[in-house]
Amino acid sequence: MTRPRVFLVDDHELIRSGIKAEIADDVDIVGQADEVAAAIEMVIERRPEVVLLDVHMPDGGGLRVLREVRATCGDVRFLALSVSDAAEDVIAVVRAGANGYVTKNISGADLIDAIWRVRAGDAVFSPLLAGFVLEAFAGDPVLSDRDSSGDPDLDQLTARERQVLRLIARGYAYKQVAAELGISSKTVETHVSSVLRKLQLSNRYQLSNWANERKLT
Amino acid sequence: MRIGANLTSTQFQRPALGVPQHPLRRNVPDAILGGVCAGLACRLGVRVQTIRLFFALSSLVFGVGAGGYLVLWLALRRDGEDEPIARRLEHGGRAFKTVLWSLAVVLVMLLALSNVNLYLLGPYAWSILLSGVGLVAVWRGASPAERTYLEGVVQAAPVLGAASARGWRAVVWRVGPATILIVVGLQILSRVGGVWGAAVPALLGGLVLIAGILIMLAPWWLENVRDLSRERRDRVRAEERATLVTHVHDSVLQTLTLIERSAGDRAEVIRLARAQERELRAWLFAPDLIGVVSRADGSFADQLHVLQHDVERDYGVRVDLVVVGDCPSDQRVRDLVAAAREAAVNAAKWSGEEQLSVYGEVEPHEISVYVRDAGIGFDPDAPAEDRQGLTHSIRDRINRLGGSSVVRSTLGEGSEVTLLLPREVASS
Repeated sequence: MTRPRVFLVDDHELIRSGIKAEIADDVDIVGQADEVAAAIEMVIERRPEVVLLDVHMPDGGGLRVLREVRATCGDVRFLALSVSDAAEDVIAVVRAGANGYVTKNISGADLIDAIWRVRAGDAVFSPLLAGFVLEAFAGDPVLSDRDSSGDPDLDQLTARERQVLRLIARGYAYKQVAAELGISSKTVETHVSSVLRKLQLSNRYQLSNWANERKLT
Repeated sequence: MRIGANLTSTQFQRPALGVPQHPLRRNVPDAILGGVCAGLACRLGVRVQTIRLFFALSSLVFGVGAGGYLVLWLALRRDGEDEPIARRLEHGGRAFKTVLWSLAVVLVMLLALSNVNLYLLGPYAWSILLSGVGLVAVWRGASPAERTYLEGVVQAAPVLGAASARGWRAVVWRVGPATILIVVGLQILSRVGGVWGAAVPALLGGLVLIAGILIMLAPWWLENVRDLSRERRDRVRAEERATLVTHVHDSVLQTLTLIERSAGDRAEVIRLARAQERELRAWLFAPDLIGVVSRADGSFADQLHVLQHDVERDYGVRVDLVVVGDCPSDQRVRDLVAAAREAAVNAAKWSGEEQLSVYGEVEPHEISVYVRDAGIGFDPDAPAEDRQGLTHSIRDRINRLGGSSVVRSTLGEGSEVTLLLPREVASS
């Protein structure tokens, strides 16, 4: 396979150069931007396969880049990067269409792995994100009043998906999850992707609530 | 905001009818104005409409209802706030003076009117004017959140909202109805004492007159309000900035100096940077945790955060913590966290890894903690002195609590300690 074409969006020069130094040997960096408007324009023009997106930026943040780019070209995939551990940030970008979320202290090798995964259309769940999802899908589904999706499957995780998420939250890598459960890595990917889909489409109260909180600030 | 633990309390539970609730607070979600009626309804366990009707009807009797409403508005705490408006007024000097002054002006006006034998408004004058003072008091003493809410209420009111806009259309909207209302109000008032008797027309006339004046003055008032709250916001922002500068100076710059001085010592640099990162992160994203770190009697999730903080600080490793669910802590929970701490310290000391994962989950019947590292591992059956001793002590602790523990380890691939504690079903 050819190397993934990656675009870097972050308003901190130091972080950008740090990330570049770590991944430049294994991916093609086709461009970088340090502000929202420039990022939207350049990403649409250069059509990278994966955008590494900082969540916290002035003028609307990563969320705006994500929304406006996806409105024009849906085939660009996003991996969100952030220093924040707050649920509403994590959930908001994933619900807006990011394929995954990692924190900036991730190791270079793990980041490269995550980029490849996102390029292939798979989901990247950090232990933290897995924990949020377990929390959000705990208990009975509570739909928000206005828009119940009408699809109860979207509002519930299967027992297997729960097991997979729990292992990820405990710090297991995908391969280790597969070994632990006696299933193939591909099956783990399938479960995680299905959780990602539910995360983006479900109308569970907490999910929409988290997303709304982010919109207000 | 704390991660994980606050997620279960975001839903507002409307209390069931017929079930009195403690304590008496002004209600927020069901409020129309101050939330007094909704709060009373919650407290008494009756329908809110009943209370509203009661206040409306009793207002017809010399304005008693309106007066009572304002007194309660001033005296009761708003849900989620820690002092009532009256207390806040008492502390904030200038606002208090404004209220006193308007009260004095009203009294002088009333005395003057009665002096020249103009009992135009009868006893209603007192209640209407005093209510006006009450409203001023509410406004001056309200918290920023309540002010924003009230501003919204005024903006959303049909005529007032339109009248507060700019442009000639808005002026027409404002001056037209306002003039009509004022004229009609005066007309009604001038007939008081005639065929109709005094009570109803006096009240009606007073209300119509006040509505007219309100609409006339609304834009000026709203603009004033907006300026005031903008000023307040700017001040808050400046204060926040000052705190930030102090914190950065006290803590971050100091640490940076320390890092520069120990530049040769890799382990020390990492330890300092991590400690600073953890502290700054807690300060920025979870300020409510700072107190907990020193107190250590918070909930299950709080205690795990304390564990993370301590192990990172003392052993220079990174602890990735994920908590799902939360519960208040009792002695058993504290013992469970103590066992988890032992496991984490054990891993930090012996695994040779710089990173470990701690996962805690609260389920209806069970609390579980997993401590995992990807380090050198050990043979659980081999009698290696140090690690073995520790795993025994963890096992004994958990067994005493009536829980179970599993230690799994593979040489070269790391180890994981699982701690399971059944919850006591009796307590809800």
